[in-house]
Amino acid sequence: MKSLKKLTTTLLFAWGFSLGFQAPLQAAPWDEEDDSEEAEASEEEEEEDRYLAIVGGDVYTGLGGVLRNVTILSKNGKIQAIEADPFLPEGTEKVDARGMRVYPGLVALSATNRISRGLFGSVELPEDHIDHEAEGEHHGHFYASLAQSHIEEVGQDQEDHFFDAQVDTDAVDSFDPYSQYLVLALATGITTAEQGSTALKLKRGEIEGVAMKDKHLTSVSFGSPASRRSTREKFERAAEYLREYRAWEDLNDKEAKEPSRKGVDGGTLNILLGRNLARFGANSRDELLGIARLAQRYGFRPVIVGCQEGWTVADELGRAGATAVVTPRSRRFKDEKLVRPGGTSIENAAILHAHGVQIAVTPSNTGFELSGITGRDLMHLPTEAGFAVRGGLTNEAALRAITIVPARILGIDHRVGSIEIGKDCDVILTDGDLLHYQTFVQYAVVDGKLVYDKEDEIFFAHIRPRPELPPLDPVQVEEEDEASEEPSEEEEEQDDEDEGDEDEEDEEEEGDEEDEKGDD
Amino acid sequence: MAVRIGRAETASHGTIEHAVILVEGGKIIEIGEDLPVERGIPILDRPDWVATPGFVNPYSRAGMDARAGKAATPQRSAAFELRPHQGVYDDMLEAGVTTLGLYPPGTGMPGQAIAIRTGKRRAEEALLKEGCYLKVTMGTTAQEKKDLIKAFESADKHEEKVQKEREKWEKDQEKKKKKKKKSKKDDDKMARLDDDEKGDDGFEPPAADPDVQPILDMRAGDLHALIRIQKASDLLHLLDVIEEEEGLSWSLRVPLRNDIDLFEVADKIGELDLRVVLDSRVTLEAGTRRERNLAAELTAAGAHVVLLPLSDSAQGHERWRMEVAHLVSLGLDREAALAAMTLEGAHVLGLEERLGSLDKEKDANIVFWNGDPFEPGTKIEAVMLDGRFATGDPQ
Amino acid sequence: MKSTLLILTAVVLASGCRTSEPRSSATAGGERSLVASDAPYLPAPLAAGEEGLALRCGKILTVDAADRVFDAGLIVVRNGKIEYVGEPVELPEDFPVIDVASSWASPGMVELHSHIQTGGWGDINDMVMPTNAELRVRPTLVPGNRMVRMACAGGVTTLFGIPGSGTSIGGFGTLYKTKTRAGFEEVVLRDPGGLKSAYNYNPQRGGGDLGSTWSGLTWLTREVNDRAVAALEHGREDLALADLKRVHRGELPVIVHCASAEGVAGVVRLWKARYGAHVIVTHGSWDGPMSARYVAEMGVPVNHGPRTMNYNIARREGKIQGGAEAYMEAGVPDFSLNTDAGVIPQEELFLQGSMSARLGADSYQMLRAVTANPAKSFMIGDRVGSLEAGKDADIVISSGDPLDPRSRVELVLIDGAVQYSRRDDGQWF
Repeated sequence: MKSLKKLTTTLLFAWGFSLGFQAPLQAAPWDEEDDSEEAEASEEEEEEDRYLAIVGGDVYTGLGGVLRNVTILSKNGKIQAIEADPFLPEGTEKVDARGMRVYPGLVALSATNRISRGLFGSVELPEDHIDHEAEGEHHGHFYASLAQSHIEEVGQDQEDHFFDAQVDTDAVDSFDPYSQYLVLALATGITTAEQGSTALKLKRGEIEGVAMKDKHLTSVSFGSPASRRSTREKFERAAEYLREYRAWEDLNDKEAKEPSRKGVDGGTLNILLGRNLARFGANSRDELLGIARLAQRYGFRPVIVGCQEGWTVADELGRAGATAVVTPRSRRFKDEKLVRPGGTSIENAAILHAHGVQIAVTPSNTGFELSGITGRDLMHLPTEAGFAVRGGLTNEAALRAITIVPARILGIDHRVGSIEIGKDCDVILTDGDLLHYQTFVQYAVVDGKLVYDKEDEIFFAHIRPRPELPPLDPVQVEEEDEASEEPSEEEEEQDDEDEGDEDEEDEEEEGDEEDEKGDD
Repeated sequence: MAVRIGRAETASHGTIEHAVILVEGGKIIEIGEDLPVERGIPILDRPDWVATPGFVNPYSRAGMDARAGKAATPQRSAAFELRPHQGVYDDMLEAGVTTLGLYPPGTGMPGQAIAIRTGKRRAEEALLKEGCYLKVTMGTTAQEKKDLIKAFESADKHEEKVQKEREKWEKDQEKKKKKKKKSKKDDDKMARLDDDEKGDDGFEPPAADPDVQPILDMRAGDLHALIRIQKASDLLHLLDVIEEEEGLSWSLRVPLRNDIDLFEVADKIGELDLRVVLDSRVTLEAGTRRERNLAAELTAAGAHVVLLPLSDSAQGHERWRMEVAHLVSLGLDREAALAAMTLEGAHVLGLEERLGSLDKEKDANIVFWNGDPFEPGTKIEAVMLDGRFATGDPQ
Repeated sequence: MKSTLLILTAVVLASGCRTSEPRSSATAGGERSLVASDAPYLPAPLAAGEEGLALRCGKILTVDAADRVFDAGLIVVRNGKIEYVGEPVELPEDFPVIDVASSWASPGMVELHSHIQTGGWGDINDMVMPTNAELRVRPTLVPGNRMVRMACAGGVTTLFGIPGSGTSIGGFGTLYKTKTRAGFEEVVLRDPGGLKSAYNYNPQRGGGDLGSTWSGLTWLTREVNDRAVAALEHGREDLALADLKRVHRGELPVIVHCASAEGVAGVVRLWKARYGAHVIVTHGSWDGPMSARYVAEMGVPVNHGPRTMNYNIARREGKIQGGAEAYMEAGVPDFSLNTDAGVIPQEELFLQGSMSARLGADSYQMLRAVTANPAKSFMIGDRVGSLEAGKDADIVISSGDPLDPRSRVELVLIDGAVQYSRRDDGQWF
């Protein structure tokens, strides 16, 4: 029950961060909860402070900057310092980041609910939870799926998958912090995952505080002509009501009758109040234009999932302040009957971004594919972002597309999505450029706790094992000065080697962002 | 009657060599090493026998028939389904099982378990105890968690109602008292406080809904709860719900499936000093062939382990000790293993004072073996139930 | 027969000599003459009627036998063939030059398991009879269809378009190039290019009385092959077996769909041990790598994919393992990767290499696995798969490491002509 209470406080707390709209409307009738309770999440249990230091890595903050060879100090799960050599209180747990890069934990949109309730192997639970894909022991099934794959074309099935089977308001009450899928998510670098509009912090071994935000997104249907009409009507009615209400409020006349809320859609009202984001699933140019115009007319910023033909109307979407959730590799051939441009483009993300559209990236398969096909599922989220770079997006924007932008969509960017003092200490350590295909996440830290170590998990430990470095704290420094110097030399050598290992192509890829900051 | 045997494994205080057990009126009245036996008391001398307590399986549905009613409500008792004359119970007795806990089927809070003696013909003879524990299921879906929260909320509601009634009653009382004597105000207050604690100040609380009463009893610790979870994370969600229920007396039931991740919370279970009802089997770590002996791990973590046979049939109960023996060979403490088949099960049934070990004052439910009960070649020589040889011919 | 054998021996000897040369020395014609004469290579001006161009590249991955890599290199193309690959040299005046000095050049990729010849999923598998040795893909081939164009934009220049795996012998595929604007005759590299057979899983579709199990299918496959061998021995003409006879003469390779350890081993036993055919195992997925050592001993190449990862399919090891690494480690010759396009889009063939490299294989070897190795294993190594003098000028210019998804394909030349230019055509992929 505690977690439920917490959820409520988190919600209240988070309201303070939504757009400034509601301030003058605090006591408005659509407020279902009492704002006077706006208490800070004050769980003052006075436990001992918990410190964790991530020592000596190159920190890619996710805001554009790279801080070389610095230490991140986390206190009770929040980032307290990012400095070259911060004071580390006694008992600070240390993670050796030398030779590694530190990135913000990734944020996965519409992730498979297996992360939070996944079970591996042959667990005989009630049928609706048996995970056929992961069972992996029946060739018959794989045969069937192979046959299936001969019928379906990969990359063309993503029209509506974001909305099916994801309405999972129960994600919190069934969150499984021991799920092996959760480990795979962490191995990918994902520290926050959305399940049915709920943002879940991928904590390991605990369920307290996993819910970060519930129902920040309101799905709006805009596909069929009928749904477009009804959506327009909803917006018109809600806008009208708001106008009436404000007029009534300005009047400040006790005699005047308060306008009726009857027939006003709550979700739409929340969108207009900036409390919730409107999420659309749309790909065709017509739909996208319709959404852009709706958004401009009613003054809200739409989140558009799919957005395949967005590049053909990028300026309109940019003006509407849209955020696009794209799968750069999605493929839909142009309608040859039309003269105007259409279909998918690998440049979609880059073009949209250039027109001021915020870009978030999801892979075409937001589950975990363990049956053999690689490179297209949630385990390859950075790879998918890499395809946006192929289309012209900068490395930096591609990183944002899997960190801060999805965090914004989920309304949790004040806590996660970048490495900043005061934010949650959710970071990942990699052995190279996150967007390079051979890079592995070596460690993942969530809320200042080390929750994933590649060498300790069976999944990837055998692939390019991490080279051993001399210990961080040379023991007995006082007695053996010489001995303590030696390892540090070795250390440098090791570092050099590491850099040498990074393929030459790395240098090519990141020319622009690194050269500017490179000389430390 | 006295039985003099080679060894007695008591399940509560270790092994006694050259043990003598004195039995009278169905109870063990004395047990010890080479006890002197008064003249006139018949002695059964079997130096090659080994005695253990009669086995206790607290979580069985052997011989049960849910046709007695499928409605799962917390007030239902498994006694409705009991048909004690069935052969399966005789076979159980022959396999050394003297006490069975039988539970009602279903999920949520499907009802309360009973404890029976095996090998009896009539319900009155068989029935040892009703309301042993309330079965509660938890896990897999968020719905079960919500249901459990709801159940406690229904109890909250009733308690609020009682509180309101009491306040009303007190006001009435006070009015009456004020009318009678205004001067003795302070004394009244004191008296009322005392009464509050005693709870028998003449106030009659409204009767609870029959479905809510068991939850109230459970909350008060009067009705033990056996809560079934399916994976490690369920325990966290369970604790999330019952954390503030301090009066609760509960044990865990965890069906062991191949890939179960219960080891993740072994330490937690140990810290909580819980009793865990497990199947007698080895499990694997998810996706691997790494074997886990959860019974051993949980015992080492400080938890009390109850082991069940893998099959609920009579044959299953015959194989039971060999299943447990396998876990012993893989590191389970031998004494804990025997307790897991006897005394710990009795605890779950709330019968630990009465049976489950070879101790003074306890029911004389004893199994006599011709050797180590965890060796495959060993056979049962005789089974004593309530002081009488129920199987085997001691002559 | 005898003459073929002689030639074969000669080739083997020649290649033996070649490989015994020090690694640093050049392997291909143009350069060898350079070494011999000790004079610098000077490209002749283009004669009348000749077509050619030169590419100034930032980096050249030749993927030749010596694994030569040139920083700032030059490629000279004449009449559709590569004339020179190496250090920059002076060019005759007016020699057409494309300056891609900040880009990388690598060989056009070669795919041995592709179904996009028709431009979609239709029309790829005739499934009336369990064996169809008389069928050819040829009539269904649509050159330059939209999927082929995407392939070209992804740097894939040679495809073996094959029938599906719905029957034990699906028929003969066509080796063709992914020219974006060309007719049938201009794209075909070899037709028939080789045989497509399917061993387990997919052909076991049931329905008939024979052929719903492996044993039934194996018998049917043997039956038709035995007939072809007999026809060959007795010089009997049989139109339906004409192409299959060429397989048994060793002129055409056969690529066999199979998966699982026993499936992979079964294919090698049937096609290599029994018939001595030039067989290539394709797919080889799931626990297929468990048979890798046997496959390697028998000298059978493996064309792995589209499933290149194995998690607990056969053994509960808990590891996520790359199939490529396992086959490479066992020493399988000419290991290559496929997409089974469109199971995975054809243009993403490189990603099969990237992902295999991610899961433990060497990244350069994985580049080989999508270029030189498939070409060599399919007896077209003399034409495509590497950047060497004398070979087809199928060249991919990209902005960086060809296995990095972030690298853009800038330019694709096939037979010396630009088929895709990102600048001129817009970025297709």
